[in-house]
Amino acid sequence: MGIGELDREAHVPEVTGAATAPRTLAEALRARGDEGLAALLRARPDLLSPVPNDLTQLATRAGTRGSVVRALERLDRFALQTAEALAVAQDPAPYPVLLGLLTGDEGDAEIEAALPAAVELLREQALVWGEDDRLRLVRTARELLAPSAQHPSPTGLGPTVAEATSGMSPGRVQEIIAAAGLPTTHDPVSAVAALTALFTDRDRMGSLLDTASPDALSVLDRLVWGPPYGEVTAKPAAPVQWLRDHGLLLPVSPRTMVLPREVALHLRGGRAHRAPEPVAPVPGVLREYRPQVVDSAAAGQAQLALATVEELLKSWDRGGPQVLRAGGMSVRDLKRTASALDVSEETAAFWLELCYGAGLLASDGEADERYAPTPAYDDWLDLPPAERWALLVTPWLTATRTPGLVGGQDAKGRTLSVLGPDLDRSPAPEVRHRVLGLLATLPPGSSAEPESLFARLRWERPLRGASAAEEGGDLRSRLARWALAEAELLGLTGRGALSGPARALLNLPLAEAASAGALGGGVEPSVAAGRAATLLAPLLPEAVDHVLLQADLTAVAPGPLRRPLADALAVLADVESKGGATVYRFTPGSVRRALDSGQTATDLHAFLKAHARTPVPQPLAYLIDDVARRHGHLRVGAASAYVRCDDDTVLDEILADRRSSSLGLRRLAPTVLAAQTDPSGLLDGLRSMGYAPAAESTTGDVLITRADAYRTGARTAPVPVPDGPPAPDTTLLGAAVRAIRAGDRAATAVRKEPAAAPTAAGALPRTSAAETLATVQAAAMTGSAVWIGYVNAEGGASQRVIAPVRVEGGFVTAYDHTADEVRTYPLHRITGVAELADDQV
Amino acid sequence: MNGPLIVQSDKTLLLEVDHELADACRRAIAPFAELERAPEHIHTYRLTPLGLWNARAAGHDAEQVVDALVEYSRYPVPHALLVDIAETMARYGRLTLSKHPTHGLVLTSTDRPVLEEILRSRKVQPLVGERIDPDTVVVHPSERGQIKQTLLKLGWPAEDLAGYVDGEAHRIDLAEDGWALRPYQKQAVEGFWHGGSGVVVLPCGAGKTLVGAGAMAQAKATTLILVTNTVSARQWKHELVKRTSLTEDEIGEYSGTKKEIRPVTIATYQVLTTKRKGIYPHLELFDSRDWGLIVYDEVHLLPAPVFKFTADLQARRRLGLTATLVREDGRESDVFSLIGPKRFDAPWKEIEAQGYIAPADCVEVRVNLTDSERLAYATAEAEEKYRFCATTATKRKVTEALVKKFEGQQILVIGQYIDQLDELGEHLDAPVIKGETPNAQREKLFDAFRTGEISVLVVSKVANFSIDLPEATVAIQVSGTFGSRQEEAQRLGRVLRPKSDGHQAHFYSVVARDTIDQDFAAHRQRFLAEQGYAYRIVDADELLAP
Repeated sequence: MGIGELDREAHVPEVTGAATAPRTLAEALRARGDEGLAALLRARPDLLSPVPNDLTQLATRAGTRGSVVRALERLDRFALQTAEALAVAQDPAPYPVLLGLLTGDEGDAEIEAALPAAVELLREQALVWGEDDRLRLVRTARELLAPSAQHPSPTGLGPTVAEATSGMSPGRVQEIIAAAGLPTTHDPVSAVAALTALFTDRDRMGSLLDTASPDALSVLDRLVWGPPYGEVTAKPAAPVQWLRDHGLLLPVSPRTMVLPREVALHLRGGRAHRAPEPVAPVPGVLREYRPQVVDSAAAGQAQLALATVEELLKSWDRGGPQVLRAGGMSVRDLKRTASALDVSEETAAFWLELCYGAGLLASDGEADERYAPTPAYDDWLDLPPAERWALLVTPWLTATRTPGLVGGQDAKGRTLSVLGPDLDRSPAPEVRHRVLGLLATLPPGSSAEPESLFARLRWERPLRGASAAEEGGDLRSRLARWALAEAELLGLTGRGALSGPARALLNLPLAEAASAGALGGGVEPSVAAGRAATLLAPLLPEAVDHVLLQADLTAVAPGPLRRPLADALAVLADVESKGGATVYRFTPGSVRRALDSGQTATDLHAFLKAHARTPVPQPLAYLIDDVARRHGHLRVGAASAYVRCDDDTVLDEILADRRSSSLGLRRLAPTVLAAQTDPSGLLDGLRSMGYAPAAESTTGDVLITRADAYRTGARTAPVPVPDGPPAPDTTLLGAAVRAIRAGDRAATAVRKEPAAAPTAAGALPRTSAAETLATVQAAAMTGSAVWIGYVNAEGGASQRVIAPVRVEGGFVTAYDHTADEVRTYPLHRITGVAELADDQV
Repeated sequence: MNGPLIVQSDKTLLLEVDHELADACRRAIAPFAELERAPEHIHTYRLTPLGLWNARAAGHDAEQVVDALVEYSRYPVPHALLVDIAETMARYGRLTLSKHPTHGLVLTSTDRPVLEEILRSRKVQPLVGERIDPDTVVVHPSERGQIKQTLLKLGWPAEDLAGYVDGEAHRIDLAEDGWALRPYQKQAVEGFWHGGSGVVVLPCGAGKTLVGAGAMAQAKATTLILVTNTVSARQWKHELVKRTSLTEDEIGEYSGTKKEIRPVTIATYQVLTTKRKGIYPHLELFDSRDWGLIVYDEVHLLPAPVFKFTADLQARRRLGLTATLVREDGRESDVFSLIGPKRFDAPWKEIEAQGYIAPADCVEVRVNLTDSERLAYATAEAEEKYRFCATTATKRKVTEALVKKFEGQQILVIGQYIDQLDELGEHLDAPVIKGETPNAQREKLFDAFRTGEISVLVVSKVANFSIDLPEATVAIQVSGTFGSRQEEAQRLGRVLRPKSDGHQAHFYSVVARDTIDQDFAAHRQRFLAEQGYAYRIVDADELLAP
């Protein structure tokens, strides 16, 4: 192949004929409308950063390995199968050939219907170009998808006869020709062509195989769907011998044989794939509920989510667990949190990450680093419940942190800890949106069959995460599983079906929908969240402002309590049961806590009377009076600790009590005792003896203990780590297309003078980056040498003659004639490149 | 969306009693939820695996349970809870115990991994025999109770389809002349009979003996009745002769003094659990006849050895009777798994509302210790503290004042400490019944009390249970067995028999203020408070004031 043919895809041709078929990818792109270019850039936003100078550069970039891999990974299964089929066909391939590879000889209506769209998709993404009679897969994609010994193709096909016989001795080829009954020819090229023609001719091939023994056919059967390689012994059995003699198996090494592609295709009836999947699997409906049932179940769950977040952060009010040195929270703290919330550790990890993602908790950044609620949490608490919910789910939708990974291990075998590093998984938001989006395609109130959802997701992105071996165990399926579970926990789904508020929320940015929205008239995320909150609000139970008091010393709040009331009651009584309602129990300890916080018995009576819908039961009134009567009866000083009491009998009691011996008490006066222990130890000691002492300040006032709230400094929520550059908006797309057009016009304008020829020895060659890349790539293909100008790391310029071997990831690996060794050069350091005159090699 | 029920995430159900749908809701959830507390406004039910499995055994499925919750719930029911209910209920019936025509008792599974799992348990291995086929394994017939109990603990309750033996037939009819079973008693008998075996919970004084008699009349077979003591045995006999077609000769008493075995035999727990030389010589009573029904009176007191014997009696119908199924030892679940699930339960206040037990005024009298008593209390050894505060002299004065206040009514003074009771008996000039009082003497005194010859009786804890003293209207408790909830309830039960003139009963508990007596009292009252009995608190000074 000559250079002229090679650089077709990127090079600017000398003449551009609008009417003729495009001869390069760049030409094909140039022939597209602005809309077509925008579609390409939207589908492959990586091409936009930075914005290419012209279409040639765009085409070059679209052909780079990284970009092509990215594009292939985003293909659905059928488009990928189409590309794979093109990769095993000759290049270029006409449309009917492609169709034949997919449908086989029998034909298939579904595939016929689906193929034009798939080809169009590949074309739009600049993976395929050319008219229907000459479809070309871009070279990098072809390299990636075509079968080779190192990378078996998903099609299970082997090399073509021409490729497999390329290293074979002409004599051996002659033997095969003779065995196959073909006219002998001395020209190896026409011999191979004759063999290929035989293998691709259904009738002649049929009669050839008719002569094969059943054993030989069974050998072929084993290889036909791949892998096409088989091990043979030095002296193979008769059937293999026969196959080898007829060229139906070709040697690739002394011990390995391969089934040539043409033979396999014949045996498969022309099909490149065993099971083409032209139609996306449709998610199945598991159960249908009335939408009201779904909404109410989801609202219940949303309510629970709010309560859980509040409970979690409230328990950290005075400082949460320590931050590990490597970041994150220790397993023990996670266990403790899980048992405090009465959920599994996985669920606890989810709530923690949710709070973190919503910016409600963060590390405080002190020397002794701990987690604590952020100031944003206090603001959040003041919002109405539905808005609080929206503030939790909106960041969840775009979060890349995946709590499901917690407890697993990273590549280096370190345990991944909750809130710790390495939990970001870029595909998470996209999968989450797809899962919810697919749920949204079902009729309202239907829950989906999870396996069918996962099957659909695998169909949509077969290459991504395919590395994980077992079915369902790949990252995307796991992400999808987590997304379903988390959506249920958050109340986006109820009984597995998408709720009304969630539908409203889903008008949100996901890679496709945002851009579609930008063009088509969707809504801003905040607007959608607001709408969702409005829909949710009436479904949530209304806050109540009263409790029912009962003689068994319990109080029941028959619904969520208004905030100040709930806080006050939580001090006065212990929470016994939570949920839609709250059950509180009054105990001497809880009443004492209330008294400790500075309230008097009268305050408490008044409080209960004001907020109870029932009369205050007498036992409760007695309880408060009893505790209050004894509360503060004993007073403990701080100086070096003393006990003071107006009633000297009590002091007699204390001194007489054996349990007081550890406190080291001594009588100071009839009404005062001094202690050796510190005041807090003394307080505890006396309480354990059944007294209710109060701490005293130096001036003799009662110390008041009240709960403070502990907060971090102002913190911003973690920024999601999306996969690749963000989806471009219309403005950027428009500007980019204009810029490319302008650059392209400049590059392709017919100039008066031809481009300067490579300068004489002495000056460094100068070429544009795109041209450098194209030339170097072309040289790598042909194995020819080029002359480059190169600037080393110290800035020293030199000229070198190199023979590029590989161009990859911004580096050229080449045999350097000047240094006489193989070296690697960063492309950006190459100032320019020039072809060598023939006599220079 | 405005139902009477609030479903909490911790699996408690709060029922607002004043709601118009409360009754319907109560009926809907009663089959699967345990009533835990029944105070004035909000009753608390709890969902337990045991309760859900009992509901399955009674033919309810998860869908019904979920529907009942969703229908009556005021707020959305947490999804996780519904899933949990479905999963828990699905565990029941994967294993069944049944009779195999050739192999006898077998355990069959519809879910092979479950069978594998339980057969791997070390606790199950000794109870089973040979594996007949992949889904069936032989169970030693004597281990029927054991294996049920073990499987329950493993979380895979077995459905027992092996049925009951009919026992030796014996004609027993209710002699309903001039009286009839009350509606709730009928329901209890039906509930029990339908379920095969189980426990009936009725308040003290609500006529549990008649439920027993009704069950016997259904079974029409020889019956073994286990009771707490001899006095109670005599009362059962008396009542059975009066209420059924049975005659004196058909009923035997098996106690420390008499060893009669008749078609209907009443035995005491004490005699059954008497151990001689390491064996229980009276156990053969269980096998001495082909009993068709075994009645356990006061099942909350069932002594541990009887549990074990009961495990071997799974082929016979078993009826447990109690007022307070709270055991301080926490073995309620053993009662359920060995005797049977709760078949009938009625809140005390509901029976009171129907007029079958007397309304009661519960009062806690707080007495202050004198200064010297406080000092003595503070210096007392820990184990002596309760005795110290429970027997304070001030309590005596209060008791005297109360007895004087209710002069003319039948008064019981109940206490724990013998010297305290003796002293009280002396001061009140009333006879004292305690452990050492011979049975004959006890019965004589009880009779005298019933007829009104004596109006004040001082009793120790021997009179806690099963003593039928219909005329007692006032009970004064001066001390008790620490914080025993069921004792408090049983003692209240002594005065709950409906009075002929329908007037109120009084229950006084005298408590020393600011001592552990008060803490214990609070704990003791909890069961009754949860049953809706609101205690009033009065100061001793008010009572003592002229």
